[in-house]
Amino acid sequence: MVLLSMILLPILAAPFAWLGEKVNKDIPKYLSLTVGVFLALCTAYLIVKYPGNGFAFEELYRIYPPFDFNLHLAVDGISLTLLAITAFLAITVTLSSWNVEKPGAYFFLVLAFLGPMVGVFASLNLLWFFIFWEFTLVPMFFHIGIWGAENRIYAAMKFFIYTHLASVFLLLGIIVLFLNAHTFDFMNLLGIKLDPGIAKLVWILMFIGFAVKMPVVPFHTWLPDAHVQAPSPISVFLAGLLLKMGAYGLLRWEIFMLPETSKFFAPLMAFIAVLTIFYAGFRALAEDHIKRMVAYSSINHMGFVLLGLSAITAAGISAALYEMVGHALIISILFMIAGYIHHKTHTWYISELGGLMKKIPGLMTMFVIGVLAAVGLPGTAGFVGELTVMVAAFDYYGWIMVIVPLASALGAGFFMWMLQRAVFGPLREAFKELKTLKELPAVENVPLAMYIAAFILVGVVPSMVFNLYNPVVNAFAQLFK
Amino acid sequence: MNINFLAGTLILALTGAFLPVINRIFRISGVLGAIISSVGYILAGFLILLSGDGKKLLSSFFVTDSVTQLIGMFILVASWMTMLVVYWITQKDKFINELVAALLISTAGALLLISSTNFVSLIIAMELMTMPTYLMVLFSFDDKSMEAGVKYFFNGALAIGTMLFGVSLLYAITGSFDFDVLAKELFRDPLIALAAIFILAGFGFKLTAFPFHFWGPDIYDGTCPGVAALLTGISKSAAFIALMRVVYEALPAISSNLTFIFALLAAITMTVGNLLALAQKRVSRILAYSSVAHAGYTLIAFAALAVPGSITGILYHSVAYVFMKTAAFLCFAVFLYLWGARTMDDYKGLGKREPLLAALFLIFLLSLAGVPPMAGFISKVFVFTSAVNAGMTWLALVGLLNSAFSVAYYIWIAKQMYLEEPTIEKPLNNPSDKNFILIPLAVMAVFLIVLGIWINPVVNASAAFISKIGF
Repeated sequence: MVLLSMILLPILAAPFAWLGEKVNKDIPKYLSLTVGVFLALCTAYLIVKYPGNGFAFEELYRIYPPFDFNLHLAVDGISLTLLAITAFLAITVTLSSWNVEKPGAYFFLVLAFLGPMVGVFASLNLLWFFIFWEFTLVPMFFHIGIWGAENRIYAAMKFFIYTHLASVFLLLGIIVLFLNAHTFDFMNLLGIKLDPGIAKLVWILMFIGFAVKMPVVPFHTWLPDAHVQAPSPISVFLAGLLLKMGAYGLLRWEIFMLPETSKFFAPLMAFIAVLTIFYAGFRALAEDHIKRMVAYSSINHMGFVLLGLSAITAAGISAALYEMVGHALIISILFMIAGYIHHKTHTWYISELGGLMKKIPGLMTMFVIGVLAAVGLPGTAGFVGELTVMVAAFDYYGWIMVIVPLASALGAGFFMWMLQRAVFGPLREAFKELKTLKELPAVENVPLAMYIAAFILVGVVPSMVFNLYNPVVNAFAQLFK
Repeated sequence: MNINFLAGTLILALTGAFLPVINRIFRISGVLGAIISSVGYILAGFLILLSGDGKKLLSSFFVTDSVTQLIGMFILVASWMTMLVVYWITQKDKFINELVAALLISTAGALLLISSTNFVSLIIAMELMTMPTYLMVLFSFDDKSMEAGVKYFFNGALAIGTMLFGVSLLYAITGSFDFDVLAKELFRDPLIALAAIFILAGFGFKLTAFPFHFWGPDIYDGTCPGVAALLTGISKSAAFIALMRVVYEALPAISSNLTFIFALLAAITMTVGNLLALAQKRVSRILAYSSVAHAGYTLIAFAALAVPGSITGILYHSVAYVFMKTAAFLCFAVFLYLWGARTMDDYKGLGKREPLLAALFLIFLLSLAGVPPMAGFISKVFVFTSAVNAGMTWLALVGLLNSAFSVAYYIWIAKQMYLEEPTIEKPLNNPSDKNFILIPLAVMAVFLIVLGIWINPVVNASAAFISKIGF
C-alpha cells in the first residue's frame, strides 16, 4: 500500500490545495510541503526496508488480466534512487515557490505532477508506465504557460505538442511489443525472445519517445524554450524529474528488456551521446542568455547519461545513474540561481551582467559552488559522475572515447567564462543603485543550501548512492553477458 | 428483443410524445418539464438494466445482447445529461418542451438502432432517430439554422436513399433482410460488393466519413449547440454500433473486400478532419471537424475487422466518444449561453471567468486528444492495437500521428481559456443557479475518467459479443 499511497495521496491532496486557497493563502504551500515530507518519509522507509537486491514492496491491482491492464507496482534500487530524487525535489521546489502568485492553482498542479511522477518510477506495467508518463505533461503545460516568462505561451505549446508527438512513437512501440509479447508486465517481458526485426522496430519506436524526453540532439529543441520560459522551480522539476523519466525509461524498458537489441544499437546511442555532449557544449559556449546556457549545459549532462547507458555494462549503467542523481542536484541549483539573477537584475544576458559578487556575495558564492560542481570539481557529485561515465565508455568503446574529456574541458570553458563575465569583475554602473539587487530571504536560501549539501555529500560519499542500486545493476548485467 | 428493453424504449418515446401535450394542457414550467423527462429517463434506464432476462419478442428484428445493454445505458445517460443542459440553457424559450420531446424520441430511436438485426428494423430505427432531429436543427429559427436544417434534411434523405438502394440489392439476391440469413446466404459477388458499398455510403453520411463529411460541420455550427451535441455524440455513436452489426453480422462474406476501403476511408477521414480543424476559428467548427476526425479513428477499428480486437476498439471508441463529444459540445453550449463565446478569441481567459466549467471542458478536450487517464486514451489504445494486430501498422502510425497533431487544436483551446487574458467583459446571462449546470457535465467527466481506468464493463461486453458472433 505504500507505493499506491505515494501515487494517490498527492493526486487526492491536489484539489484541497485549490480549495484551501480560498480559506487561507498559506494552506496550499503547507499542504504541498506536507506531501513532500510524506514522500520523503515513505522513500526513507522503503530504502531502509529494502532487502538490497531485486524488486521489493510488490503491489498488484488486477483491473483486467486478459489484456494485462493491471497496476503492478514495485521498486528496486534504481527506482528507489529516483524516488528519493522525486521526494527531495518535491520539498525543495515547494520551498523555492514559497511566495508564488496564485498559490492554489500552482500547488494543485505541483501535486498533480508528483503523483504520476512516482507512478512512472514505480510502475512495472508498461501501459500504466505510459499513462503516468503522459499525464505529467498536463500540469507542466500549465506551469509553463501560466507562471512562465514573457514568451511562455509559445514555449508551453511547443513543449506539449513536441513531447506528445514523441509519446505517440512510444505508444506505437508499446503496442507492437504487446502484440508480440502478449504482456505489459516487466517481469514477463524480462528476457523475452522476440523476432530480431520486431525487436529492432520496437526499440527504435520507443527510443524516439525516450530520446525526446531526455533530450538528446537532434530532439532537444523543445528544452531550451521550455526551460527558459518556465519559472525557475518548475525548471527544476523539468530538469530534475522530467528528463530523468526519459533516461529511466530507456534503461528499464529498453536496455534491461531488450539487451541484445540494445547492444546492437549501442554504437548509435554512443554516437548520439557524443554528438549531444559536443553540440550542447558549443551551444552553451555561444549563448549569452544565462538560463539558456544552463539549459544547454543540462543537455550536455544528459549526453553523459546517455553515454553511460550506451556502454551496456554494469559499470556504465551505474555511472549513468550516478550522473542522473548528480545532474538533478546540480542543474537544479543553477536554474534556481539563474532565475534569481534575472529577478534581481532584470536581465537575462551575460553581457549585461558583471560584478554581481560585490553586491550579493552570499547568493553568488552558492552559484560559484554550483558551477564548480557542474564543471566536475572533485568532492562534488559532478566529478564522480563524469569520471565514472568516461571510464565506463572508455572501457567499452576503447580509444575513440578520448574525445569525451575534451568536451569536459569545453564544459569547464563555458562555465568559467560565464562566471568571469557575470559574477566577477567590476560591478556595473546600472547595478550600483539597484534596489532589487539584494540577498535572498531565508526561506529561499534553504533549498539552495539543501542542493549544495546534497551534492557535496553524494560527491564525498558516492557509495551511499552506488550501494543502493549496484546489486540490482549487477544482477541485470548478467543479461548482457 | 427483450421485453424490458422494449418497454424502456417505449417509455422514453411516450414521455417524449406526451410532454408537449402535457405542456399544452397544464402550462408546465421548465423545471417541471425537466423532472418529467428525467422520470422517463430513469424508468427507461431501470428497465434496460433489467433487460438481461425476461420474455423475448420480435427476435428476427431486434436483439438484446451485451452490446445493446451497455451502449444503450451509456447513450441513455449521455442523452439525459444533454436534456438537462438543454433545458437549462433554453428554459425561457416557449418551444423548449417540444425540443426536449424530439430529443427523447430521437434517443429512443438510437436505442432501437443499436439493437437492430434486420435491415427493415435498422432503417426504421434510423429514421426514428433522424426524423426528430430534422425539427431540432431548425429550432433556433435564424438564417443559419434554416440553411443547416435544409442541408441536413437533403443529406439525410440522400443517405437513407442510398442505403435503401443497397439493401434492396441485397434483397434481390437473397430474398431476405435478416442479418442471420444474409450471413449464411451471401457469397462473394460483385453485386453484393456494390450493395455493400451503397450501404456503407449511407452510413458514411451518418458518420460524416470522407467523402460524405461536408454537411457535418455546417450543421453542427449552424444549429444550436445542444442539438449538435445530440447529433455528433449520440446519433453518431449509435450509428457506429449499427454499422458494426451490419459489417460483422450481415456481411462477413465480403468483409475481406471491405478492409482496404475502410482503411483508406479512415486514413483520409481523420487527416481531412484534423487538417480542417486546425484551420478553424470558431470553436463549434473545431469540435465539428474533430468529430469528423474521430469518425476516422473508429473506421481504423473497422479496417482491422479481421481480428476480434477490432470489436473492442469500435465499442470502446463509441463509448468514449458518446461521452466526450456530447459533453464537449454541451460545454460549448454553456459557454455560449453564459458569455456568448463563439470564436477562439472569445475563449480567451474564460478559465478565469468560469474555473470549474473550463476545467471540465479541459477534461473533455484532453480525452478527445487521447491523453490518459481519460477513456479517450484507452479507446485509442484498443483501436490502434487492433490495427497493428491486423497487420496495418502503417494505418496505426497514420492514426497516431493524426492524434498527436490533433492535440494542437485541443490544447489551443486550453491555451485560450487559461493562458490568455479575458476579452469579454460582461457575461451575456448570469443566472443564479449557475453551479447546477456543472452537475450533468461532471457526471460525464466522471464516466470518462472511470471508464479510462476501469475497462472491464466495455471489454467484457465486447468479449461476449465476439463469442456470440463466433470469431
